[in-house]
Amino acid sequence: MAAGPYNYSYIFKYIIIGDMGVGKSCLLHQFTEKKFMADCPHTIGVEFGTRIIEVSGQKIKLQIWDTAGQERFRAVTRSYYRGAAGALMVYDITRRSTYNHLSSWLTDARNLTNPNTVIFLIGNKGDLDAQRDVTYEEAKQFADENGLLFLEASAKTGDNVEDVFLETAKKIFQNIQDGSLDLNAAESGVQHKPSARPGQTLNNEQQPKDSNCSC
Amino acid sequence: METAENTDTKEVLSVLPWDQFSEWMHCVCVVTFDLELGQALEFIYPNHIELSESERSNICYLAFPDSNSGCMGDTQYCFRIRKGRSTRRKLTESDYLCSKDCPVTLLKDDTHYYGYVYFRQVRDKTLKRGYFQKSVVLLSSLPYFNFFKDIADIIAPEYFDNGEPCLEAACHDIDQWPSPVPGKPLTLPLMGMILHVRIPTKQDKPGRKLIEASDNVASLAPFTLSSINRIDLFESLQGVLPHIHLLWELVLLGEPLVVMAPSPTVCASTVLALVSSISPLRCYCDYRPFFTIHDSEFKEYTTKTQAPPRVILGVTNPFFAKTFQHWPHIVRIGDMGLGNSGGSNPSLLSNDSKLKKTSKLKALDSKTGVYTKYKPFLKKDKLFLKTFAKGLAGKRPGTAQSTLLERHFLELTQSFIIPLERYLASLMPLQKCISPLRAPPSLKPFRPEEFFQMVENNGPQLTSGTKGDWVGLYKRFIQSPNFEQWFLRRRSEIEAKIMSLHLVALSETDLESWCYEKSEVEIVDMVLRLRQKISMVTSHRLEVPAATLERLNNQITSITDSLPPDLRGILIKA
Repeated sequence: MAAGPYNYSYIFKYIIIGDMGVGKSCLLHQFTEKKFMADCPHTIGVEFGTRIIEVSGQKIKLQIWDTAGQERFRAVTRSYYRGAAGALMVYDITRRSTYNHLSSWLTDARNLTNPNTVIFLIGNKGDLDAQRDVTYEEAKQFADENGLLFLEASAKTGDNVEDVFLETAKKIFQNIQDGSLDLNAAESGVQHKPSARPGQTLNNEQQPKDSNCSC
Repeated sequence: METAENTDTKEVLSVLPWDQFSEWMHCVCVVTFDLELGQALEFIYPNHIELSESERSNICYLAFPDSNSGCMGDTQYCFRIRKGRSTRRKLTESDYLCSKDCPVTLLKDDTHYYGYVYFRQVRDKTLKRGYFQKSVVLLSSLPYFNFFKDIADIIAPEYFDNGEPCLEAACHDIDQWPSPVPGKPLTLPLMGMILHVRIPTKQDKPGRKLIEASDNVASLAPFTLSSINRIDLFESLQGVLPHIHLLWELVLLGEPLVVMAPSPTVCASTVLALVSSISPLRCYCDYRPFFTIHDSEFKEYTTKTQAPPRVILGVTNPFFAKTFQHWPHIVRIGDMGLGNSGGSNPSLLSNDSKLKKTSKLKALDSKTGVYTKYKPFLKKDKLFLKTFAKGLAGKRPGTAQSTLLERHFLELTQSFIIPLERYLASLMPLQKCISPLRAPPSLKPFRPEEFFQMVENNGPQLTSGTKGDWVGLYKRFIQSPNFEQWFLRRRSEIEAKIMSLHLVALSETDLESWCYEKSEVEIVDMVLRLRQKISMVTSHRLEVPAATLERLNNQITSITDSLPPDLRGILIKA
């Protein structure tokens, strides 16, 4: 593979899914820009975000696909799942309906990704505890029953947001290391860039901090 | 791309009233002496301009000569104040055009305003106090010392004679001016006159005249300004001519320096002359051509609990003699330079030009001279001083002496910069290291020891006749803000250049074959990277040929085409 040795050794593809208005784009924005986006427009189709993180001393570039939550885009979004190494499934703790739809999102995720895709359940808007409509315990039980990682987070305060993205990456990386994720499978959603060796200082990707892609 | 469209719409936007005015000036302030309040801001024009409390107060105090200077008649000088945070604004497209080719010494100042003062004090029996005292202050972010002095000289007397409508008319004229873009011959109408100026560019050869015959306007110019920012070095420094080399070193190193003079005109022009002596290097330390005890930075700059700050201050109030007693370097200028240039000049080479050693009598001693314990690293250029002294004896005109002095400083500073530039060039990655599919290579780190070693063999001795401890001078310089800012600027210029070369290389790469057998994730990564680079061209103002941008956009289209149709649709939309 003659891929360019930028200063990351892997690319992980993530998708963010869930009902409209649960805060998917805000979670992404908080993660890539460390800012809360107050007036977030509806996502049309898909938006991309990227950030380079480090797991076990390896630089990993996250390529995050932020999908539209509106029902009318549901048919289109199916093609986004292909090759995702991680799926972040989001509901809003203050709106029960968004929680109730999780099984249908989970079915999509299971059917359209490979068995090793790490699925992380996120109860967003954790800052609005007074308006809570779904208890932590209930969601935790759902996550356990379905083998999902789970955290409540807040895109507004930034609480747990970092953890969600990093924990997912750690789990994927662990799967690579113990061999359960086959890098050679086209659908793995993970791209190893073996020509990037640590110590090649010339190859630092000079990305200014504000340049995370938000096309 | 979206970014390209943005720039288009910017150009279409029409110019709003005061947009052009604000390219040149912030506002005009009229400061008067109120019997009850003291110095007070009579009005600001244009009247929508807002100034912070501290800006207003500083302007009021700096608009009048400080105590005991008894300036009768008309007095002109310049001051510099800190901008309040709220008044700093975002950079516009026009700011970019104005700064692109601008020498660093002429760049719009983001953190300070320059106040160009025209003060009039005349007897007027009809007034209660018996005196008319008023100042017109042109406030601008542009360090065009000479230019604004001349503008104030045109506007202020008109205002004093005919009142407010004159300012209104003048500001209206200025609002019609083209933007101060370097290198272009500019035609500026002002109160029935036409001014012709050309802002120098950083590519100009030193010594280029303001308007060249080839600019085709010189012949029809009824009024041509002699220079935008040139200070008459000879007139401003004539009291301290034997010490110009030492002073040059102090300014270069950003040493704390105070200039005490009998009038704001003298202290301001001396400070400005010192600051411009290191041109084309910019003095990044704060400097205040005129500073008073009422200044909002007074406490900060005169505290004795810390070492004196790296600033150059011009003062007239005798009170400062005590305040600055502990300062390491003091320039005192007596009555000289007050217009009576017929006075005798100190011999440039004889013994009476020796430095005054700091002693306890210093505060009381008001003799012209430089008071410091500083030992210069470089030896005086005796050859130059001899030539110069000959000119003095032979009554060579002041302007010629000034040009001589300017050229001498320029040669000295250039000789100082050349080794730094040469070393910087050696830190550049080789062109062959720029590989389109790798990240752009970075500049090697600046290693002082390596640089000093280079100076030993290939230092300024190659271009300058001045002898002395050049390495010692560099060692000190490298620790100064003047070096730090110079290096940061040069580094970002070089990095922008590398990025542009990298973009060109990427645009010429056969990415279609690269895509062959690549996974979707990797191809999407490439598309995102290309997009990011294209948006960087706009956000970082990279100079890239239009053809390169077009090729990069085509690259995106062609590699998107290599993806399955459903994904293609997504990427084109997103």
